Amino acid sequence: MRIAAQERAKSRLARHSEQMILFAVANRMFAIAAAAVQEIRSTDSLAGSANEIEHSEISKVRHMLERSHQTYYVVNAGAHFGLPVTRPTLVLILRQLRVAVLVDRIERMAEIVAIHSLPRAFVGDERCWYRGLTYVDDHVIPVIQPAGFLTADEFRRLDLVTNATSVPRGLAGAFQA
Amino acid sequence: MIAEIQNAGANTYVLLQLANRRFALTSGIVSELAPPVRLHTFPHTSPLVSGVIVRRGHIVPVYDVASILLGRSSSVHRFYLIARRDFPDGPESSAIPVSGECELTTAEMQEVSDDSRPYISGRLLIDGESIEVLNFDALVAKDVPPDKGPRRTEAQS
Repeated sequence: MRIAAQERAKSRLARHSEQMILFAVANRMFAIAAAAVQEIRSTDSLAGSANEIEHSEISKVRHMLERSHQTYYVVNAGAHFGLPVTRPTLVLILRQLRVAVLVDRIERMAEIVAIHSLPRAFVGDERCWYRGLTYVDDHVIPVIQPAGFLTADEFRRLDLVTNATSVPRGLAGAFQA
Repeated sequence: MIAEIQNAGANTYVLLQLANRRFALTSGIVSELAPPVRLHTFPHTSPLVSGVIVRRGHIVPVYDVASILLGRSSSVHRFYLIARRDFPDGPESSAIPVSGECELTTAEMQEVSDDSRPYISGRLLIDGESIEVLNFDALVAKDVPPDKGPRRTEAQS
């Protein structure tokens, strides 16, 4: 009881309504802000515009997409999170980042009113992966940090391999994930 | 048990059961014994953390301390002991899966000079049994390696 009172005072809960896309990878559910997603496409529909990256040092990125004169790196979300291999059917093309994310399926949209801070017990990569945790239909679901899919160093290494250095106007800062 | 813990004084300990062994925590950091609620898990790379539970509207991380104390993860537990972990910027409620009922006891802790494990504060002698007193912060500290090394925990929910 004493601990709970102390934690309430710290206000570690962000409360504002936000539209989320709930998606699944290897039967795990995640949430990402709808505002962070520019477009959702089936993997089949992008087959013609995706190019394989040869000699990619980053195993979770095997392909890139050319869209609107920009190169988007396609991150396999399962590989990113260390989940079992699946057959993704959808691509989330992110807004303001040169990242597209392979996922298995979209579950639904949901309006999230509270995002809890990731407990400080978590000290690993997840601190970059997630904005926090939310509670939907009796499930605790991690809320994705879009900039966490690729670090600035990973962007740099991929750009070196692919010679993709173009930067959209006004978005250079977004690449310093 | 909450009221008993809050009224407990110095030299008061909570005895917890992990598999067939008992350990002790100073009662000052224990807030309650929670029922076996659902463990929520998701991908992460933090050693020792097996997931989170929701308790009184808070998301509480669950530490698999059995992997250090017993050398293996405890797959059978009935309750969660809610204890306080102190961070430099404040405390955080934490959950420890325990196998059975916990017990509040008063005893004199004996210092241990022959134990190199930083997470053992001392021992209690109760009815002929020597029970190790845990330093919870040291036990779950990042630099305390689990017996089988760090592992990647994946979601199960």
